[in-house]
Amino acid sequence: MNAFYERHKEEIERILAKYPPEHKRSAMLPLLYLAQRDEGYITREAMAQIAEILDVSVTEVDGVVGFYTLLHDKPGGKYRIQVCTDLPCALRGAEQFLHQLEEALGIKAGETTPDGLITLEEVMCIAACDKAPVFQVQTGEGLTYYENMDLEKTLALIAEWRKKHTKTPEGNSS
Amino acid sequence: MSQQVTLTIDGKQVTVPAGWTVVDAARVANVHIPVFCYHPKLEPVGMCRMCLVEVGLPERDRATGEIVRNEDGSPKIRFFPKLQTACTTYVQEGMVIRTTTEQVARARKDILEFLLTSHPLDCPICDKGGECPLQNLTMAYGPGTSRFPYEYKLHLEKRVPLGDLIILDRERCIICGRCVRFQAEIAEDPVLSLDGRGRATYIITTSDPPFDSYWSGNTTDICPVGALTTTDFRFDARPWEMHQAASLCNLCPVGCNIMFDIRREPELGGRFAVQRVMPRQNEYVNEIWICDKGRFAAYHFAQYGERLTQPLVRENGKLRPASWREALERVAQAFREAGSGLVTLASGRLSNEDLFNLARLTDHLGGRKVLDTFLAGGEWTDKVGLGRESDLAALGEGDAILVMASDLEEEAPIFWLRVKEAAQRGATLVVANPRPTKIERHAKHVLRYVYGEEGKVWEALLAGASEAAQALARAENLVIFYGQEGLDLATSDAVARAAARLLLTTGHAGKPNSGLVAVWPRNNDQGAWDMGFRPVADLADTLRQVKALYVVAADPAGDDPHLAAALEGADFLVVQDLFLTETAQRADVVLPAQAYIERGGTYTNALRRVQRFFPAVPPPEGPQPDFAIVAALARLLDLNLEGRSTAKGFEALAAQVPAYQGLTYKDLARVEEQFPLVSREVLDYTGTAYPNGQGLGVVLPNAVERGETVAPPEAPEFPVRAFQGLLAVPITRLYDRGTLVAWSDTLAPRLPEEAWVWVAPETARDLGLQDDATARLEIGDLAYTVRVRVNPAVPGGVVLVPRSVGVVLFTPVAVHLKAVVPAS
Ligand code: SF4
Ligand code: SF4
Ligand code: FES
Ligand code: FES
Repeated sequence: MNAFYERHKEEIERILAKYPPEHKRSAMLPLLYLAQRDEGYITREAMAQIAEILDVSVTEVDGVVGFYTLLHDKPGGKYRIQVCTDLPCALRGAEQFLHQLEEALGIKAGETTPDGLITLEEVMCIAACDKAPVFQVQTGEGLTYYENMDLEKTLALIAEWRKKHTKTPEGNSS
Repeated sequence: MSQQVTLTIDGKQVTVPAGWTVVDAARVANVHIPVFCYHPKLEPVGMCRMCLVEVGLPERDRATGEIVRNEDGSPKIRFFPKLQTACTTYVQEGMVIRTTTEQVARARKDILEFLLTSHPLDCPICDKGGECPLQNLTMAYGPGTSRFPYEYKLHLEKRVPLGDLIILDRERCIICGRCVRFQAEIAEDPVLSLDGRGRATYIITTSDPPFDSYWSGNTTDICPVGALTTTDFRFDARPWEMHQAASLCNLCPVGCNIMFDIRREPELGGRFAVQRVMPRQNEYVNEIWICDKGRFAAYHFAQYGERLTQPLVRENGKLRPASWREALERVAQAFREAGSGLVTLASGRLSNEDLFNLARLTDHLGGRKVLDTFLAGGEWTDKVGLGRESDLAALGEGDAILVMASDLEEEAPIFWLRVKEAAQRGATLVVANPRPTKIERHAKHVLRYVYGEEGKVWEALLAGASEAAQALARAENLVIFYGQEGLDLATSDAVARAAARLLLTTGHAGKPNSGLVAVWPRNNDQGAWDMGFRPVADLADTLRQVKALYVVAADPAGDDPHLAAALEGADFLVVQDLFLTETAQRADVVLPAQAYIERGGTYTNALRRVQRFFPAVPPPEGPQPDFAIVAALARLLDLNLEGRSTAKGFEALAAQVPAYQGLTYKDLARVEEQFPLVSREVLDYTGTAYPNGQGLGVVLPNAVERGETVAPPEAPEFPVRAFQGLLAVPITRLYDRGTLVAWSDTLAPRLPEEAWVWVAPETARDLGLQDDATARLEIGDLAYTVRVRVNPAVPGGVVLVPRSVGVVLFTPVAVHLKAVVPAS
């Protein structure tokens, strides 16, 4: 079939088995997560290969990647800090919090720290409005919520990650 | 038939089939519910919210299930607390819809205000201005002002080519998703998608090649704003400057109903000229769609081609201009001398009226009527073709369709669409072809055979034992399409006979919605057969022996160097055409004919529906309509033919040709209400396709219906070919380099630049060829340089050669294909 398929043959077959063959396009999201685990983002090659596996057009795969904020088509940091700045959170100071964070990290939302550790992102409501400022952290492992945050707590968190990654330089790839 | 439901919309009672949406019911009740994302031909998605209405249902007692009644006995209606999207609400018995309330008016206003927050409002330079749903709905329901801060307006790219033919203006797009859904659901080329979300949602294509679909132009009709434009019409004219002429596309045997939009054209010296081709509704034929070939090439050849303007006669070996009188007298004299030595070679590009006159004239002199084609079987489509009143839309559950030897989307795009839709409604589709084609996705049974072994497929089908054969035999209605894939005259004749036998022996012949359809190479081949023209097995041999040859709308010399040589044998050659073709350059007399956009007439499509086309632009000075030229010639030969008008000509042919008996132009002009209701006033509902006010045409009765005795033909002998080595097989591709499409600048980037062939990977390997290699293709005494394209879908041991793309091939033959070693 293709390189992506060969690399994850067993897992892909396990995923495909969950869906009736005539609806195999339903396996799109699990396959995209698989691809994202490989590189931290979904490469163009991966999109084309997933399209081939699922018998859809690459444009359709692209559209799905574009729709979901948790799927990325560009490389980013190991940790993606996704701060909610939607209206309720904004009323609880999310925007100030974001700006402080930007300043502390020396990057703007949408950018990645030079060491490749952190990408800062803005997202819409993540359903924890009452605990703002709130962000979720996306890694290859999945998502973790951090609620009622402030700059100090956040920087402490980051310091921890940094420590972890200087000890095990190969990082947390699974 | 289907269950009916009665509901009330703004006080009007309306009864529609169950399963309809409220938007459609309202349209029939003449209540306008504005829409953007909804389209009656697409699945509803409810994403624009323009269609919000108040929806009420009869209240039921929870305990008894009885309908609760008011004091006056009328059912008590309970309205949903919030507005509902009419496009995703399906009709129910007793439903009450209100569209004129304050609440609804407010919602429409708000939705429009939202849509306009970032709309560029560049109507004055927008191609859609004047026929734009957003413009119209804003005028009707929108706010006069915006509360949105101007500086928050998004500024986006205004010229994004999605492919060679369609340009996207991102600012104008309102993200209705119609184009995306059209490509996925109807065209089945899902190369468009929505990307991102919220205010940052864009239409994208990242496929390679990008927006490369034979259907792409239709998205510009259903785009409710000026976001999608064609490279053909972009910035060409404003809708209100143009007037309309109804016509037919003449590029394939579907006969799509089209409308030419016409305006004086400064670039053509102020002449009236066609500015664009638009679909015209005919739910029996093309619904409200046309393919890109029709849209982008249906008129260019007539308008931009180098046309003949006056008769030419040969003098001292050279062609020189002459008067009509001189030219015709010369022809008449030669024809009189030739007598039964006359051969008239005509093509199915001509109208029925032209062909009828040509046939009469040829018969009058005892000559021979020859049809320029490679596909046979026209007697059988006349005998057991689709029955009167046939409607492909009626095919569904319980019916069966066989598509044999045809790459349907390439040969006749709209037939692909109609067959696929029938399969989606539940008809059993059987596809017999040596290689996979797009229609096969919907097939229940796929019969794969080797090129040249068509006979084996028919043996099995006629024996009736296989599952596919039984599905066909048992079907309530059975339609058989056969096409051009690898067929030549002898084989197609056998295929038609075998198909006729199947239809007759299974009791399917002579019924509406059953019968035989030949996917002809030309738009009016069926009409040509009906008028008595027949192909000959060895055209070169026939041409060599003629005394006088009358070539009309055909170019044998241009098609095939062997025919060019054979023409030398003709004592006297007359060519009647639009252009100075290869054949015309060899002629003794050349007669300039009018193009079909300059005159009227009728064509009979492959479904045997006779349809009318009308003069669209004034003819250039000089050329005459074919039927009139023939009539003038006939007069000199003491034969009286109708040359005054096509209406009269049609009357004359209807008096003589059995299938056309009694038909008049009036019958062809019959229209009926067709769903969805198309109108130029309610553009938001179906788009800019034109309604059909000119006639839907008439399906001819087949011989069985005419009461003739039609005995099943014997199971035919298929020609046996014993091949050695590599077999070249002709196939048909929509985009070729035929003379008609070659004049379209718009389509030019999509047409093949060079001769190419398809071979299977293993064949390429055996021949030592790489993909994209240049190779030498030797066919008999001719050799071509071709680009090799390796395609895993091609069977091994053959080389597939597209027709009219630089290589002359009409019948499968053994060939050599060799790598060309580049000169170093
Ligand atoms: S381009 Fe037109 S049809 Fe496509 S989503 Fe935008 S507005 Fe709708
Ligand atoms: S399907 Fe055939 S008749 Fe219709 S527009 Fe295309 S080429 Fe013309
Ligand atoms: S608005 Fe931020 S979590 Fe809901
Ligand atoms: S939501 Fe009904 S037309 Fe768009």
